[in-house]
Amino acid sequence: MKPFKHYDVNTLDEAVSALQNFAGKAKIIAGGTDIVGMFKDEVFAERPEALINIKTIPNLDYIKEEDGMLKIGPLALLEDIAHDELIKGKYTALAEAARRTASPHIREMGTISGNICQQCRCWYFRSPNNRFNCIRKGGEDCYAEEGENRYHSIFGNVKDCLAVNPSDTAPALIALGAKVKTSKRVLEIADFYEKEEPKKTTVLDDDEIVVEIQVPQPAANSKSKFEKFAIRKSIDFPIVNCASQVEMDGDTVKSARVCLNAVFANPYVAQKAAEYVVGKTLDEETVTAAADLALQDAKPLTKNAYKITIAKSLIKKTLLACK
Amino acid sequence: MDKKKLGIMEIEPLVRDRYIQDEFNLIGKRGISRMCGKEKAGGRAEYTRDVQLPGMLYCRILPSPYAHAKIKSMNTEKAEALPGVRAVLRYDDPELADKPLYGLETKFNAGHLASDGQAFYHGKHELAVTLEQWKQGAGRVLDGVAWWEGHPVGAAVAADTPELATEALGLIEIEWEELPLVLDPLEALKPGAPLAAEEINNRNNIIRKLKVEHGDVEKGFKEADKVIKFDARRRPYTVADAEPMSDVIQWKGDNVEIWAHQQQAYDGKIIFGMKMGIPLNRIKLHVPYQGSQFGGGGNPMMHHTHGVHIISGILSKRTGRPVKTFYDRKDNFYNLSQDTDCHTSFKVGFKNDGTITSVKIDNICAKMGQYGIDHFEENTRIPNLALNYLEANINVAPAYWFRCEQNHNALCLSLVIDHVAAALGMDPVEVSLKNDGAEGRDMEYLSKFKVEHGFPDRDSLAEAIEMGKEAFDWDSKWHAPGTKMLPNGKLHGVGFTWDHEWDDTRGTACAGVLMHCDGTVDILSQKSDDGLNAMTTHCQIVAEEMGLKLADVNFRFFEEVGFQMMTPDGSCNLAVDAYCTRNAAREARQKLLEYATTPVKVLEIEYPAAFPEHHPDDLDVKDSIVYLKANPDKNVPVAEVVKRAVLNQGGTRAPLFTWNWHRQGRYGTEEGRHRLTRQAYFAEVEVDPETGGVDVKTIVNINDVGKAISPETCEGQQYGGDYMGVGRALAEEVIYDPKTGVKLNANLIDYKVFTMRDIDETVNLLLETGMGYGPYGLNGIGECIATIVPGVIGNAIYNAIGERVDDHPMTPDKVLAAIEKAKAKRGDVK
Repeated sequence: MKPFKHYDVNTLDEAVSALQNFAGKAKIIAGGTDIVGMFKDEVFAERPEALINIKTIPNLDYIKEEDGMLKIGPLALLEDIAHDELIKGKYTALAEAARRTASPHIREMGTISGNICQQCRCWYFRSPNNRFNCIRKGGEDCYAEEGENRYHSIFGNVKDCLAVNPSDTAPALIALGAKVKTSKRVLEIADFYEKEEPKKTTVLDDDEIVVEIQVPQPAANSKSKFEKFAIRKSIDFPIVNCASQVEMDGDTVKSARVCLNAVFANPYVAQKAAEYVVGKTLDEETVTAAADLALQDAKPLTKNAYKITIAKSLIKKTLLACK
Repeated sequence: MDKKKLGIMEIEPLVRDRYIQDEFNLIGKRGISRMCGKEKAGGRAEYTRDVQLPGMLYCRILPSPYAHAKIKSMNTEKAEALPGVRAVLRYDDPELADKPLYGLETKFNAGHLASDGQAFYHGKHELAVTLEQWKQGAGRVLDGVAWWEGHPVGAAVAADTPELATEALGLIEIEWEELPLVLDPLEALKPGAPLAAEEINNRNNIIRKLKVEHGDVEKGFKEADKVIKFDARRRPYTVADAEPMSDVIQWKGDNVEIWAHQQQAYDGKIIFGMKMGIPLNRIKLHVPYQGSQFGGGGNPMMHHTHGVHIISGILSKRTGRPVKTFYDRKDNFYNLSQDTDCHTSFKVGFKNDGTITSVKIDNICAKMGQYGIDHFEENTRIPNLALNYLEANINVAPAYWFRCEQNHNALCLSLVIDHVAAALGMDPVEVSLKNDGAEGRDMEYLSKFKVEHGFPDRDSLAEAIEMGKEAFDWDSKWHAPGTKMLPNGKLHGVGFTWDHEWDDTRGTACAGVLMHCDGTVDILSQKSDDGLNAMTTHCQIVAEEMGLKLADVNFRFFEEVGFQMMTPDGSCNLAVDAYCTRNAAREARQKLLEYATTPVKVLEIEYPAAFPEHHPDDLDVKDSIVYLKANPDKNVPVAEVVKRAVLNQGGTRAPLFTWNWHRQGRYGTEEGRHRLTRQAYFAEVEVDPETGGVDVKTIVNINDVGKAISPETCEGQQYGGDYMGVGRALAEEVIYDPKTGVKLNANLIDYKVFTMRDIDETVNLLLETGMGYGPYGLNGIGECIATIVPGVIGNAIYNAIGERVDDHPMTPDKVLAAIEKAKAKRGDVK
């Protein structure tokens, strides 16, 4: 691993200021479970000069309900979110997603803000020593298209990039209608992810950091559910995951949000599925039709058509669990 | 002349221990802690990577970025000029010219080529290349041509820090000539395919051919009531061991010290000595704890074993400083063995009652595979067998044995039995017993051996199956394939398989037993820290035999003491080695009792013995106390006995020392491996028909270990083998980019080794029939579980779906495809 500068900061303002000083050549480090691995593997031809460590900022790991919403500090650990009684009870999908992220050790280090900002796991992108200078790194090719794409996008590319977003918590937060408060603005989490430019995962500017996750309190008669399909139960990134939140009105659905992940460059909001179930009862037939609709636009690659089947199954499972 | 006293090792046939005590104090006892447990679990165990010497340099070797390429020119000036870089070793260095990696010339390894298994002995073996070319196939210590991505080629850099060494590698300017590559063995065999390594074979990509025929397969097919054909595939998987490879070499004047991360470290020393021209008595070997190699450090001709020794050695000699050469996690994935891609086709004939009359196997493997027929030859009564084996070279990481190489052989046997059972609608247990070469009805040579050696006539496979059926509740759980859906919507499946694997019969070892003047004992032997809890079990054996407390025996096997264990093979531990410790301990006990009854005379003064009036036969030892059998109240501590024996002879002389060696079998001479470890495995799975996900709910293992010295250790092996086996079955696969041959999952996230959290329940039961060739009738258990479990998981998945997924690993895409196929056959409306 090449040497780099490492700054401990005491406040968010200091962090922002440090980012500005490095003018795009510094990155934030919190749990470090993602960025340190990339440094070790020399994933990028050129990598940041400095890491700005925000773990040293006090009191940013809170989980609290306030102002009619759940507020989560950027340094809240995934393990704490997974086991928080409040989140388990009311924001179930988020607790389940955090619980299924990585392994206990990594959850004890990894933070919620890191989890939603993490880079894709595309093995061409992550190949050590920048072996494949792909589109996401400023190159011209996506090597997955004709290569090993068993874990890649089933909903097409973003400027030819076929990588997928691997976060488990992101689809749960989207299903729960969360917002991301940054040092500059407040964004719907669905808008937090960069849609046009594969070189960026999120829309965060170089000097912008996540300062809070805000989740609106769910309506009284609503439920949420997260499901993940991965090869291992113990530790794995998702092949597909899915979160749904459904508000019921008697036996019928009043409103729903469904989000898949690991199927596209960004978390994929299954709008058609959500719209289809509104006004209907959540039975096998309805959720099957909803899942089929959601995957209608899927464009599988040479080796990943099976992900469509799995995605449908997870949509069905999460919706049925919200009954 | 007593040849044994002279140390002449005659080749002995396998022996069977007729002496089995009825009662033991320590052997077979539960609750004995692992002697290395606290050190390892507490983080205090020292591994090769932990070794730090004053002034030590760190060496990194250049990994090839290409799967097949030649170095046209290389400029190392910038690397050499980097401050902190102390030496750069180039591939064209004259000192490397006479140092190919091939290391089989040591007499200790002679015959490795011929030790593959039964098939080899009966086969018409043909190297498609010359032997010299085959040897070249191992490559060179540092080459100018890369045969796979990550191949250590070009240069090695020794620098003050690991970071500097890595930085210096980046400063080396290389002009590469990229060469066409081939990644699939079937493609490699097509006419006009790119040559994977023209240095080995410049005509085609064939390395070996093997033809075997027992009986007459065509006649067998004619006699059959039914004949079936099917194909199977095992995709490549790799070692994925915990501690990446490293070594440290310190060259001091005319002497050299080696710290080795290696299974056969003494072989490594011999090869290093031969290649570097250093007498063995000038090389001191240290073998620290080994971070679970899974057999990956087992071959002295691989780069990661003696290749790194040569590099560290040359650089240490040149710099005058100790040099640690180390792989990082990626290098470890690049260069340690992988088990190869096997495409296997079967034709099987059988009677309506399940008796198999004929099996024909066509097997194409990449690099170095397993034949596929060995377990039929060794473990069944099937009279007609034929094999066509073809080995193709391709541009992927080298292949060699690890985690027991019998995986594919075990899978082939398991597949044939289960396919036959399915074709007949029979319970696979019945088909297995019909065709098993069980006790008393084995192949001729094995039956003869067992009669000659006094084995009881006992069908331990049938016993194992009965135990397993009961523990698993097989009779009520088994159902016709594809017929049971659970209330949770998942498909329920159960599977059974069996094998007689793995009890490696061959090996040689020597060990000493040394008692200090306080009555405590050191076991003297150097041994790599693999094998099953060897540190503790050898102490149990010595303490048992000598009548000592376990705490009075120690076995720190890290340093060279003149005796070695587990040479040359890594597959045998107690089955061979324990003869040495046991026999040396027995001799030591006898000496101890002689001391107890013999006065010591120094000059004119005679010191009385502890038991002056008695003969050694009158005495016994228990809990480190020597006592009179007829009157146990008359007793003297062992420490007192030895103290008297050496009282006036100075503290420098150990009072008691014995040693023993044991050699069992010889490579390439037996008619086959004497497989005695009968075992039966049962598994229960739930398959999600919507996702193709497989939940392994229960695995029941029954292993006839002959005699368990440490039952918990055996059970630990069963448990560990279960999850490793399930990982092999469902996930483990080395994935290459099809265009470039770059390994895409050379890390422990994307290469999926299963963990203890990935399977629900394992039931690990031991059967102890005493029918092993090891001391106390023990058999061993080390390698068999993880090789057999993939078969039983596959059978359970078939039972759940009703359609086979004979392409391992059985990933969700393949499981879903099989489910679709089953639905289509049943005519389900989607």
